[in-house]
Amino acid sequence: MQKDIRSWFMKQHDKEKDNGNAPKSAKPTLVIPGKTSTAKDASPSPPVKPVQGGQESSGRRRTSKYFASEKQNQEDAKEVSGSTSKRKVEKSSADVKPPPVKKPHIVKDDDDDDDDFVIPKNGKPSAEVTPSKKMKSGSGKGIPSASAKKESNDVDDTPATPKSGGRGRGRRGGAAGGRGKKLENDETGDGDDEGAKEVKSAGRGGRGGSAAGGGGRGGGRGGFMGFGERTAPPNKGQKDVPEGSPDCLAGSTFVISGTLDSLEREEAEDLIKRHGGRVTGSVSKKTTYLLCDEDIGGKKSQTAKTLGTTFLTEDGLFELIRASKRSKVTVKEETQKQGDKITTSLPKPSPQKPSPQKPSLQKPSPQKPSPQKAVKNKGGVHERSDSLPWTEKYKPKVPVDIIGNQSLVNQLHDWLKNWDSNFLNGASKGKGKKPNDSGAKKAILLSGTPGIGKTTSAKLVSQMLGFQTIEVNASDSRGKADSKIEKGIGSSTANSIKELVSNQSLNADVNSSKHPKAVLIMDEVDGMSAGDRGGVADLILSIKMSKIPIICICNDRYSQKLKSLVNYCLLLSFRKPTKQQMAKRLAQIAKTEGLQVNEVALEELASRVNGDMRMALNQLQYMSLSMREIKYDDIRQRLLSSSKDEDMSPFTAVDKLFDYNSRNLRMDERFDLSTSDPDLVPLIIQENYLNYRPSSIKNDENGVQRMNLVARAADSIANADITNVQIRRYQKWQLFPSSTLQSSIIPAALLHGSRGTFEQGERNFNRFGGWLGKNSTMGKNYRLLDDAHVHLLSSLQFNLGRTTLCLEYLSLLLKHMTDPLKLQTLSKEEAVEKVVEFMDEYSISQEDFESLMAISKFQGRPNPLDGVAPAVKAALTRAYNKGSKSRVIRTADLINLPGIKKAPKKRVAAMLEPIDDGVVGDADVAQNDENNSDAEDLGDGDEEKPKVDIESLSSKGIQIQMGSKATGKKRPPAGRGRGGSDGAGSSKRKR
Amino acid sequence: MLWVDKYRPKALDKVLVHQDVAQNLKKLVTEQDCPHLLFYGPPGSGKKTLIMALLRQMFGASAEKVKVENKNWKVDAGSRTIDLELTTLSSTHHVELNPSDAGFQDRYIVQEIIKEMAKNRPIDTKGKKGFKVLVLNEVDKLSREAQHSLRRTMEKYSASCRLILCCDSSSKVTEAVRSRCLNIRISAPKEGEIVKVLEFIGKKEGLQLPPGFAARIAEKSGRSLRRAILSFETCRVQQYPFTNNQVIPPMDWEEYVSEIASDIMKEQSPKRLFQVRGKLYELLVNCIPPEIILKRLLYELLKKLDSELKHEVCHWAAYYEHRMRLGQKAIFHIEAFVAKFMSIYKGFLIATFG
Repeated sequence: MQKDIRSWFMKQHDKEKDNGNAPKSAKPTLVIPGKTSTAKDASPSPPVKPVQGGQESSGRRRTSKYFASEKQNQEDAKEVSGSTSKRKVEKSSADVKPPPVKKPHIVKDDDDDDDDFVIPKNGKPSAEVTPSKKMKSGSGKGIPSASAKKESNDVDDTPATPKSGGRGRGRRGGAAGGRGKKLENDETGDGDDEGAKEVKSAGRGGRGGSAAGGGGRGGGRGGFMGFGERTAPPNKGQKDVPEGSPDCLAGSTFVISGTLDSLEREEAEDLIKRHGGRVTGSVSKKTTYLLCDEDIGGKKSQTAKTLGTTFLTEDGLFELIRASKRSKVTVKEETQKQGDKITTSLPKPSPQKPSPQKPSLQKPSPQKPSPQKAVKNKGGVHERSDSLPWTEKYKPKVPVDIIGNQSLVNQLHDWLKNWDSNFLNGASKGKGKKPNDSGAKKAILLSGTPGIGKTTSAKLVSQMLGFQTIEVNASDSRGKADSKIEKGIGSSTANSIKELVSNQSLNADVNSSKHPKAVLIMDEVDGMSAGDRGGVADLILSIKMSKIPIICICNDRYSQKLKSLVNYCLLLSFRKPTKQQMAKRLAQIAKTEGLQVNEVALEELASRVNGDMRMALNQLQYMSLSMREIKYDDIRQRLLSSSKDEDMSPFTAVDKLFDYNSRNLRMDERFDLSTSDPDLVPLIIQENYLNYRPSSIKNDENGVQRMNLVARAADSIANADITNVQIRRYQKWQLFPSSTLQSSIIPAALLHGSRGTFEQGERNFNRFGGWLGKNSTMGKNYRLLDDAHVHLLSSLQFNLGRTTLCLEYLSLLLKHMTDPLKLQTLSKEEAVEKVVEFMDEYSISQEDFESLMAISKFQGRPNPLDGVAPAVKAALTRAYNKGSKSRVIRTADLINLPGIKKAPKKRVAAMLEPIDDGVVGDADVAQNDENNSDAEDLGDGDEEKPKVDIESLSSKGIQIQMGSKATGKKRPPAGRGRGGSDGAGSSKRKR
Repeated sequence: MLWVDKYRPKALDKVLVHQDVAQNLKKLVTEQDCPHLLFYGPPGSGKKTLIMALLRQMFGASAEKVKVENKNWKVDAGSRTIDLELTTLSSTHHVELNPSDAGFQDRYIVQEIIKEMAKNRPIDTKGKKGFKVLVLNEVDKLSREAQHSLRRTMEKYSASCRLILCCDSSSKVTEAVRSRCLNIRISAPKEGEIVKVLEFIGKKEGLQLPPGFAARIAEKSGRSLRRAILSFETCRVQQYPFTNNQVIPPMDWEEYVSEIASDIMKEQSPKRLFQVRGKLYELLVNCIPPEIILKRLLYELLKKLDSELKHEVCHWAAYYEHRMRLGQKAIFHIEAFVAKFMSIYKGFLIATFG
């Protein structure tokens, strides 16, 4: 089939070559071989090609050059099948590929009317042309029966395969701007070419019309986007996706590049896989086609050009697939006719040189027979299928059967083989030294995800070496108290657990140095749970004294529980087998079971189960119950849900939510993404939503629309915060979905697009949510402020809230504390003394000083400490520390009560309680003072009172060291009594 | 000592502003039993000063003998115990505390701690009054639940305890609480009064005030006496003798906010919004309350805004401020406001200038 298609292409290319025409124009079209040949015969003139090129690839002209080579290939292919008979034979034997020729034709006949209705412009030329074309083709070939044959084919096809035929046709007819029309046009074009130049121009017109009508690719596409910013397909969903025979693309390898016309990349991938093709990420020699609808000059197309890979448009792909269907049907029904037809078409191939790419193109054919074979087997196998699970039935029988990890298996083998010689014979005394040597660990630890054959390998290897395996797994209790493996090994104490018994007996055997050797397989060691207390420690002990090899198996090597164990084990990490490896094995099994599955489907299965062979087999067996033939789609559907279980980092989730293609996500998918980490995802979104350029906005020169969207998103995020409060504070968890919607889904839906950076050199990845960090810094600062606030309060000079402190006092406090240090007029000592004095007055400690500095510092503004020489700072610290000995800090947290390590529950601010009557009396006096005079009299008579207080304090047994500085020491007690007068006094003193 | 503290009047007779209020209060406590009081008024108007003076009037100088306690409380809240830490200032006659410090757990403070304190009758029989006084600051920041619990306490224990509530705006205090109190509105002092106070301080400090200097400070202070005195002293520290054209320095954070405002006015783009977010974080981290940031920001924006937009912008600011109180992560709401503003303003600019 493919060959045929290519052959159409080829011809034109050749022509082009011959004529030295511009390569650009040579785009391949869906030329029916027969017709093409006629066309060639009739009008070998160069102009023909340009027309076709224009038709087919109005939007993608750039690539067309490369399609030329494809054509060539096809031509080669044709040449190969030069002799009719040969070709016929080939075809019939393959049974798969029908000649593509007929279908288009049929379709055309059927569809003419539809198309006309849909697009009048097109319709007219096509209608006119079609008959002539037919005629011509017939006449050109000189075989009058050709058209008749076709028709008969048509008729036959329909009944024979109602499903496929009907579908194909219906689709065509139905697709208003889609596929059918295009085909039509192509043919029309051909007809034109054959006919005359005037007609040709008409054909072109039709072409243009179709493009304008929305069917054409060029129409909807304004400009093409740069590489990396993949846009949505311009004609998304407007074309009918064809359905062909499941294996029609088998053996071909595709690479998809750029934006396709109507398919999303994922859809295209699915389509290809569904039909047996393979999709890889980058172009290599093995690549058969580069699927792209525009030449964006990216790396892929570069490579493809150098490698000579065939370029294929989306339409081309569709045609390939569609053709396969048609041909298949046809072949079955009318092999004979087909043969004739081919014969007729043979003349066309004419003299063409084979191109180097030919081999790759032909590859597909050899693979096709396989399904048939499978079918043949089916019957026999089916009968003997029994009830054994396949996982058991197809367990590897020899180590070589194990998929993947061969080197590890070998290592295991070697270790086990040499175990005896290493640890029992002679070397056993030297055990102490050996554990350091990695090769000489007494136990081995196999790790890896479930289902990749760890247990199987262990058992197989043991078996092969003639060890008797004793398996202990999570179903056995392995707690220290119970299992006491050491006892089992070391002594003959009867223990109820079976492995102990066997160990013991085996141990005896080994000691008697003959006969069956045993190996202990400790399965699922990381599964040792609460019930197996001391299990790991016990196991280690067992390893130390064991006289038989121990194989431990776990899933997660880095599990906390196994930390101690790994030191005693040789570590072997099993890797997941590649999907190719798995697919190979699965294919074998499927074949034996008589299942008809193609390799791509199996690979898909392998990748879906994430390397878990066991799961893959189970799935396969399950599916085999209901169907004999498993297609790509079946596997996809079946495993769609199960593939979601993987952990996803919140970053990935955010990426996906904001991804350009996120518009295709279903609501539940978005929800899953958003709740993959319900705490972090919203924060990351909040941090990064500004960076996204919303793709929903096209023309937004001044950014108003984007700003509007940002405002809406911000509003939604704020909403989510409110909702969150309701959830967390009032336990209204029923609001959770709404919160998710507001915090993640709405912003993402509004702004999804490509991410941009704000700063030069910034990495274009999502930042971690900044809120957490900022919030904790804020919390810290509030604590610091609180401390300082309490200290200030306890100075009794100050009785305002911390907010006021922060908002209004701070600047002035800082000025008082830093300005003297900066002044040149004051000597260092004076300045320092002044500051310390001020700090004492407000009982600001050194720590408070620093925290106040930190709090008042704004990014991008001068630090209040700027301009203070380091020497001065040091002097300040010194002076403060010197003073601190003689200072009673009024805050309790600086006083440690003897015998109490922790800060006392009740932290008394000033340890110095205002004491008894004496103080009250003082206070009264002070009150009187103040009543008499507010400011003028302040300080009068104050001098004495502090002393009184101090004395009374010291008499209470609280030791206060008095320094030389009167203010410093006096303050606390005095402050208590009467802040006002005392303050006045001190200020007076200062003055 | 800072002048604000130094020249704070200690007695009701000494106050320079709100003398009428002071006299009424004095009469109230000397002549009859004192009801619950609710002081409200803008910051810097002298509420706290009046309260302290009032306490002194009630209990004499012993009311000033306070100690600062930082106490941990264990509150039983049904199934779990909640640890609360609270700083109180207490004398034998009164306890002053700031229940809103406990954040959303303020309810427990009101329910348990305040009740506990209110229940205990003062031991000090020598006191002139048979009750003790609880001074609660920032009641407007109390959550709704806390305020509801408060009203029961106010009735039940009124025999032994009087509450003095203090807040900036009475609108955020529930009706129920307000109606149980004697509401005393302390208005912001007039500029003339501020000038008077500043001149008084100047005289006491022996400073030469150039004519009009005090008036300028008063004008800049936004009728907050505290602000005025603080900036007066700042000027003194910065430069003395005063000159007539001396700059009256704004607060650091205010400068920062106005910087943000001009950033916003200059450019409206996601990039700028991102930078603004960074600066807002900076303010928040430095313990500037978000409400104040938002208010100040609005104020700064309004200064530069076309009058057409003012109404709308104010509406959104109010909208987001309200939501900020409902929410938890203030930055989200401020950012939403800024984004909204940018979107409005940008649309306006384009509509106007094309």
